[in-house]
Amino acid sequence: MDFSLSDEQRMIQDTARSLFNKECGLDLVRAAWQDHNAAKPLWEKHLNEWVEIALGDLADLALFMEEYGRTATPGEFFANVLAQQVATEAGLSLSGSATVAVAGEDGLWQPNQQSTKHFVPSAHDVEQIIVVTGSEQIIQAALVSTTDVTINEVEHMDQLRPQCTVTVNAMGETADIAPGQWSYCVQRCLVTTAAELVGVGRYLLESAVEYAKEREQFGKPIGAFQGLQWKLVDAALELERAAAAVAYAAMCVDADDADRVRAVHIAKAEAGQAARRCARTSMQVHAGIGYTWEHGLHYWLRRAYAGDAFMGTSEYHFKQLAAELFV
Amino acid sequence: MKLSFSPEDENFRSELIAFLDEHCPAEAKKNRDLIGSDCVDEDGIMMIPEWAKQWQATLFDHGWMIPSYPVELGGRNATPLQTMIYLEELASRGIPRSVHFGGYAIVAPSLLEFGNDAQKALAPAAIRGDTVWCIGMSEPGAGSDLAALSTRAEDKSDHFLVSGQKVWTSYAMVASKCFCYVRTDPEAPKHKGISVLIIDLDTPGIEVRPLRHVTGHAEFAEVFFDEVKVPKENLVGELNKGWRITMGSLAHERGGLWVTGVAGCQRAVDDIVAMIKRRGLENDAAIRLKVAKLYAQVHSLRAMGWKGFASFAQGSSAPEHSFMKVATSELQQTLFELGMDIQESGLAITDPAVAEEEGRWQNTFFGALASTIGGGTSEIQRNIIAQHVLQLPKN
Ligand SMILES: Cc1cc2nc3c(=O)[nH]c(=O)nc-3n(C[C@H](O)[C@H](O)[C@H](O)COP(=O)(O)OP(=O)(O)OC[C@H]3O[C@@H](n4cnc5c(N)ncnc54)[C@H](O)[C@@H]3O)c2cc1C
Repeated sequence: MDFSLSDEQRMIQDTARSLFNKECGLDLVRAAWQDHNAAKPLWEKHLNEWVEIALGDLADLALFMEEYGRTATPGEFFANVLAQQVATEAGLSLSGSATVAVAGEDGLWQPNQQSTKHFVPSAHDVEQIIVVTGSEQIIQAALVSTTDVTINEVEHMDQLRPQCTVTVNAMGETADIAPGQWSYCVQRCLVTTAAELVGVGRYLLESAVEYAKEREQFGKPIGAFQGLQWKLVDAALELERAAAAVAYAAMCVDADDADRVRAVHIAKAEAGQAARRCARTSMQVHAGIGYTWEHGLHYWLRRAYAGDAFMGTSEYHFKQLAAELFV
Repeated sequence: MKLSFSPEDENFRSELIAFLDEHCPAEAKKNRDLIGSDCVDEDGIMMIPEWAKQWQATLFDHGWMIPSYPVELGGRNATPLQTMIYLEELASRGIPRSVHFGGYAIVAPSLLEFGNDAQKALAPAAIRGDTVWCIGMSEPGAGSDLAALSTRAEDKSDHFLVSGQKVWTSYAMVASKCFCYVRTDPEAPKHKGISVLIIDLDTPGIEVRPLRHVTGHAEFAEVFFDEVKVPKENLVGELNKGWRITMGSLAHERGGLWVTGVAGCQRAVDDIVAMIKRRGLENDAAIRLKVAKLYAQVHSLRAMGWKGFASFAQGSSAPEHSFMKVATSELQQTLFELGMDIQESGLAITDPAVAEEEGRWQNTFFGALASTIGGGTSEIQRNIIAQHVLQLPKN
């Protein structure tokens, strides 16, 4: 087992970090909350070109998504990354910006016969939707134009990445996806989400650590108080565990390793829990200033909770893990 | 030790319930988990709705605002035990007395304890809600370390000249007066140069800039003072002895707050049980165990609060009560988060048409993030318990 990054991976990480730091500052995040069109130029000028990273190794994509999460990046890139991965397995060729519609009301990516799909990210910001339907054995996908479906936004915590219900009246031409291929792309999408959550957690923790060094009360930096140090250490431990679990899961999926099913459930569950823990800790450390809307910490907190909810909560994935353990 | 209440106390309870049935407006019965959290205008800026003004005045006029006070202060000379009964009955129904608690709960008791006759005379209006107060303690550089406050009040023989800034001041945008902690002696050790001034917020030189909570609602503000002239007679208590008043304010804030905290937890856990049944999850062993453990905490904390009250009523200190703020605020956060988690993938949905109870759990989750920060953070509370209850050495 080797967790060290290749030169190429290090480059992906560095490039992504400087791209997001430069192009996705807090001002953009604030503007995108008011009006999601504010994030369009980021997508059109920069992130559009990066979509193809979704076609390569999951380990590379995970590195990129972690940086993506670190800046609470708004917009449809996330949806497009999911769509690219599903399109590849379904043999569909996308002709523009796209998202994926599969979940029923339970939010799980289990193909079903219902005509309304829930929890569809960025549906009204893209041109095409991959609609996946069927059952556990027979899975079909179709590419439909957003103009041929009914889209309703459902307000959730993270308005930087709106979620919608999509009602499909006619599927048109469908492509079959074999169950094995389907679970492969679900695993990839879960790790994609988990990697983003690790990045969200990283920002929350790092900003808290930085603040604890700067902010002085009682004549010293608040980070000098052990009560606060231990709180931060506990959050950091949870986050590092999650980061390692995500990297491990990505390698397992890339290698088609037998441990991948467990590894993916663990990665999503641990990342969701860690991001939420870091969110609460960061809020507590920032205290009064963190509780103001103006400060902006809450954007990451919102992404942490919404990300945990996406494609099954951490509780759900722990239950799936339990089912694997007690067969 | 006994469980039952005396016939007089039961009479008191019946009288209260009859009063609530007759006078409490529907808006106050909306089961608010967090008082005042939905009292905002179209721009999301806090305002005091008409029903809330009237309700507070009605409580006062009927002697039900602060029952332990005499009639002229909105009470009925109730005993401490009756006050507990009163707080439990209100809190278990989720009925707020007021949407701005600073005036009746902190300012009025402080004026009555430390003020001169003219200042004591301001108490009835503060309790009735006719005058809205805000409390200016925290500053950008002085949060947990309140004694580091630096808003300066210079003695100009016939007035004080105040310059500086307060922050996170709740209700400042609707208040007419500020109970303001200022530095009157910059040379003295930091606890010994603080005084309290009553500052009218329409005095020239004051600017109030609303700040939003993470919920998006502006319920607190920054308050800037630029050479504000404050009459000498607005000094509360003795010059440079303001630290004693801060300790007083905090004690008033603590006194009955545990009852409200526990009752809030009780309502949350009861409603969680109901939601679990509604969603058909009552046979899920993991959920059952989780809820039972939390239920036990709520239940024991209530008992602990009453146990502390018994020593308190006999005039001794109640170490139990020192734990109550940390315990109830953290338990509340856990419960509200559980209320979201029970909605599974819908945990982050805030759309009132889709989320359970119109998004109540998501809203209260955001609101309750403040409960471990405001009024002294959980860390500071733990420091106090460590040093004063467990008597550990100061670090
Ligand atoms: C909703 C809300 C309403 C408020 N309303 C008012 C109001 O009406 N009037 C008013 O004056 N103020 C008000 N406040 C301010 C509140 O009192 C302060 O936020 C609080 O005292 C903490 O101060 P701070 O935010 O500066 O945090 P800091 O003191 O900077 O603390 C930051 C972090 O360091 C920790 N810390 C600090 N010292 C220690 C230590 N010795 N040991 C361990 N950890 C430590 C804290 O626990 C916290 O986690 C309000 C705050 C909120 C959130």
